[in-house]
Amino acid sequence: MIIISLIFITQTAYSQRELGRKERKILYNSSYNYEIQPLGVGQDGTKVVKVWGYGKSVEDAVQVAKRNAVAACIFRGIPAGPGVATTPAIVRDPNAAQEHADYFEEFFQTGGKYLNFISLSTDAAPSGSDRLKIKRKYYKVGVSAQVMYDNLRRELEQEGIARRLDKGF
Amino acid sequence: MTVKNNVLIVLLIVFSIQSVLAQRARKPTIMVVPSERYCIDQGFSQTFDNQGLEQTIPNYRKAMQNDAQLRLVITKMSGIMADRGFPLKDLEQELRNLQTQDAEMEMLMSRESGSMVAESPIDRLKRVAKADIILDLDFTINERGPQNWITFNLRGLDAYTSKIIASAAGTGNPSTSAPPDLLLEEAVLSHMDEFNSRLSSHFEEMFDIGREVSVTVRVWNSSYFDLYEFFDYQGHDMELIDIIEYWIEDNTVEGRYSLSDGSANFLRFEQVRIPLFMTDPRGRERAYDTRRFISDLSSYLRKEFNIESQIHQRGLGEAWLIIGER
Repeated sequence: MIIISLIFITQTAYSQRELGRKERKILYNSSYNYEIQPLGVGQDGTKVVKVWGYGKSVEDAVQVAKRNAVAACIFRGIPAGPGVATTPAIVRDPNAAQEHADYFEEFFQTGGKYLNFISLSTDAAPSGSDRLKIKRKYYKVGVSAQVMYDNLRRELEQEGIARRLDKGF
Repeated sequence: MTVKNNVLIVLLIVFSIQSVLAQRARKPTIMVVPSERYCIDQGFSQTFDNQGLEQTIPNYRKAMQNDAQLRLVITKMSGIMADRGFPLKDLEQELRNLQTQDAEMEMLMSRESGSMVAESPIDRLKRVAKADIILDLDFTINERGPQNWITFNLRGLDAYTSKIIASAAGTGNPSTSAPPDLLLEEAVLSHMDEFNSRLSSHFEEMFDIGREVSVTVRVWNSSYFDLYEFFDYQGHDMELIDIIEYWIEDNTVEGRYSLSDGSANFLRFEQVRIPLFMTDPRGRERAYDTRRFISDLSSYLRKEFNIESQIHQRGLGEAWLIIGER
């Protein structure tokens, strides 16, 4: 019994060392932590994706997921999926987020302009495997969303953040 | 604020607008052309006897007139490219224009003397459908039982360097419900963002290290000297071949070029990176292309060595300089 207890305590301590509460919080809130996958080829100028978000409530996590979908299209792109090719990031300069920090801070603020470029295709709050309670009062939810990719690209081109294909000609 | 200051401000604005307008590089033309494999596979080809060798070439006119799915893909791609600031040259319209031009050239004559329009055999050869970037398109509609799926292959080729500057290829998901036309539309939508991203990288590189072009120097048969002839170069005896190479080295971006082949009668420079802009004798910045680049080489040879030459342009990215006479 004592040995089993010791093993359990050691394991817990080890796992906590590997990814502590603080680290997990940083990970969930990281601006690079986009969990996104394509669901199919969207209509003209749009991308249909499944995207995940973390939050203290399901509603919060859904909002974070929406923001992540737009952020992924801007900074990281969407990986290829079955029958769907890779979607490149709209902004290819890796330092763009820092260089245009003021713009993006306003763009991604609560109720910000980013909401113009996303719509959810799931009406109800996510349930089942799309709604995971990862600890007490902390949720991870997955939502299906449609990103207005071409409109988003045009917006960033107009702001001079993304490069137009015909720039310089 | 005085009147003098106002005039100064207006002048400054005019100058800055002028310089912004002047700093535009020559825009490459882009045209979608179905691949040879596609045309031959679909029966849009013709076979002829080329000096005992049977040769099959694509018949683009037949393809455009008969293949609705090809037209659908091209239309879809044209819409996307126009939205990105690159309206595509339409192959079908280009072929039609050429046909009309042929007929007009045959009939056109001067009112006074009845003279026909001057056209050398080389001018006639140049009257073909062409673009600076060819989008070589190939797709297959696969079928297995009730399922259809698309294999899509798009290559962006620089017409002068023959390099693939962008590409996108892949296979779509099999579907039992979607008709082939819808699957084709999906394939275009799925691949064009990736393709345009690669094309954008190519353009960015071009703005950083210059436009990549090919330059060929040839010698007229009637010339009394060849490229191994010695000339006085800054007090040294030097072969013309070396003099030309020095000039190319001095006038390319960061001296980037590659002398791929040469003999007494020809020199071929590849991966020649020429600047996108130049300052003209009036001090204005203007777009620079291969014709101007080779024209500068021609002027240099005439002024410094009394060598006459003729320029033969082969589009935005390739030119020949034929030396010996004009």
